[in-house]
Amino acid sequence: MAEYVNPDVLVDTEWVAQHLNDPNVRVVESDEDVLLYDVGHIPGAVKIDWHTDLNDPRVRDYIDVDDFERLMSRLGISNDTTVVFYGDKNNWWACYAYWVFRLFGHDHLKVMNGGRKKWIDEGRPLTREVPSYSRTEYRVKETHREIRAYRDDVLEHIGHPEPREKQIQLPSDHALVDVRSPGEYNGELLHMPDYPQEGALRGGHIPGAVNIPWAKAVAEDGTFKSADEIKQIYESAGVTPDKDIIVYCRIGERSSLTWFVLHELMGYPKVRNYDGSWTEWGNVVGLPIENPAAEKAEKTAG
Amino acid sequence: MDRQEAIEFLLEHYEAPRNKGPLPDADVVLPGGNPGCGDVVTIYLKVNRHQDAVERVSFEGEGCTISQAAASILTELAQEKPLSEIEGMDYNDMIDILGREVVQSRPRCATLALGTIKAAIKKYRRDRIREELGEGAPVEDVPERFEI
Repeated sequence: MAEYVNPDVLVDTEWVAQHLNDPNVRVVESDEDVLLYDVGHIPGAVKIDWHTDLNDPRVRDYIDVDDFERLMSRLGISNDTTVVFYGDKNNWWACYAYWVFRLFGHDHLKVMNGGRKKWIDEGRPLTREVPSYSRTEYRVKETHREIRAYRDDVLEHIGHPEPREKQIQLPSDHALVDVRSPGEYNGELLHMPDYPQEGALRGGHIPGAVNIPWAKAVAEDGTFKSADEIKQIYESAGVTPDKDIIVYCRIGERSSLTWFVLHELMGYPKVRNYDGSWTEWGNVVGLPIENPAAEKAEKTAG
Repeated sequence: MDRQEAIEFLLEHYEAPRNKGPLPDADVVLPGGNPGCGDVVTIYLKVNRHQDAVERVSFEGEGCTISQAAASILTELAQEKPLSEIEGMDYNDMIDILGREVVQSRPRCATLALGTIKAAIKKYRRDRIREELGEGAPVEDVPERFEI
């Protein structure tokens, strides 16, 4: 039975319970539901609101290095602190925050397997007390641009195709993974089922992308599947460790989870998250898409 | 209301929701959904016909903290209010009531209950016209479900 290549990036709830008072460990909650932390959180945990703490709406981008240093200092995180993320929704936002921290070069990062739900299901304690830590003098030493893909990187990744080309083939050593639901990938939906259908003017996917929904890597209890299962899921779709891989979803949060699985847990060396994702690609003038639902409708009508 | 007061206001309603549960004699029962968190809110509306005002309003629902707290707060505000007053409420009013600083990044969660209660009033008005003029009356059709 295969092991994760980097098992240390994952800790279980018991590990967290044993390290609640460890001054070298900072537990960070990051949720989609922004008030969940206030309802109750792991004792000693601090909160990262992905919307207000990590994003700079003026430039539709992440905060800059200065702001990241200020955020870390405010949360009492030093360059040597081990940060453990957990959250709701199968750790989507925990993985997203993890990815952003990695972008800014923080070395010691972990995710609590199973997230907030598992902690609560096990009857472990929650508190509403907001902890206060001494400020630190955090300094970003290096950033990791290589784990992020921009729109132009994706265009290059798929071989700069002629936009009106009917069939686009990726270079053989590249893989592009669309981690959204099959309905979004096929162009029937612009967002997850049951979510508002907004964000992009066009439905479909980036040409050459294979569809492996993020949830395939997660078991029913919200923990990650075994290394063998994950290997089988991705390799059977042609997503192998030897390839240059880009993952994307709608806004980059679900694909952060897939990036975490492939790059961090499974040790695939070259995986980038395209955080602009479908909300950008689906709206840009002149970029090609594939829309199986529209093609099917055309054939039926024709 | 500062940010912390707004959070406490919302959490208090989330944990001890007012007017939660069905109204057996409601004139309108209207489900609504669903902003960013997979939220669902069903509004039960009983109207005082003589005063064209809310007699009772309640809700059932599931979802994120903001959507459920907003439903509780709104149903508390809407009791015995003239229907026109609720119809005149703007989504911005709702965001201000809940605490703009906390909910402005989740406007759909914050306004789901308001949208649903407004849709319920619309359905109530359509049903009254049909009652008066008969089933064939030329009135605007209202969806059986509010989707935001």
